[in-house]
Amino acid sequence: MRVATFQWLMLLTLTALSFGLAEAGMSGSAVLIPVLLATLVKGNIVIDRFMALRGVKGPWRWIVLGWLLLVLGLIAYAFQLAQS
Amino acid sequence: MWFFILAELLVFGIFFLAYAFARTHNVELFNASQLELDRASGVINTVLLISSSYFVVLAVSRIRRGHSRSCASWLITAMTCGAAFLVLKLSEFSGKIEAGINMSTNTFYMFYLGLGFFHFMHVVLGMIILGAVTLKAWRGGYSAADHAGVETGAAYWHMVDLVWIVLFPLIYILN
Repeated sequence: MRVATFQWLMLLTLTALSFGLAEAGMSGSAVLIPVLLATLVKGNIVIDRFMALRGVKGPWRWIVLGWLLLVLGLIAYAFQLAQS
Repeated sequence: MWFFILAELLVFGIFFLAYAFARTHNVELFNASQLELDRASGVINTVLLISSSYFVVLAVSRIRRGHSRSCASWLITAMTCGAAFLVLKLSEFSGKIEAGINMSTNTFYMFYLGLGFFHFMHVVLGMIILGAVTLKAWRGGYSAADHAGVETGAAYWHMVDLVWIVLFPLIYILN
């Protein structure tokens, strides 16, 4: 359970990081890249550890991880598009 | 259950991308409207959902060892966080409605209220599922060898958390 507790604290820390960047008034790529990376790490923890999909046979882990990567990648693309 | 979860993720994914690409045509409007949101409320809700997911992980670990009552207790703790999320979200929505904001106000608020309410309903469904699992666990209906119901309920709850993990920065943070 020590591992789960560490992952929970990691999720809280990454949330605080994202919130802190926004509160500091950062915008554009300065907030986009770190926040999306933090979201990717958080999503990966939930998928692999909380949902316990890591090591599970079959395509489930890759489908859910693929969903996360695709959605975050396209969000990044759309936000970059809006900046240009 | 996994087919159901994947279908839900697909629907949420489409909504997220619709928001992100709609924003490309209305950047100033989206940025200005986003500043009117209570970011602190969003971050508190994130902490509540992440913590509830963690408590569900603890509940699953308990039932794997055959501790039914302890499993139920952790599920009740998780549902308490879920209930707090719902109360905070309702207060956020009611504040907007009192300010005369609705889904017709502008495109940003259409997504904010639509996506928020859609996710809200998933939290409600997740609470109902966890409630049913808790009741059965409390009555000793699961064991170390047979607890598929707990794992299934947990998977749904983690999906609700995963969706919020993407929704929170998208609506409240990125600009």
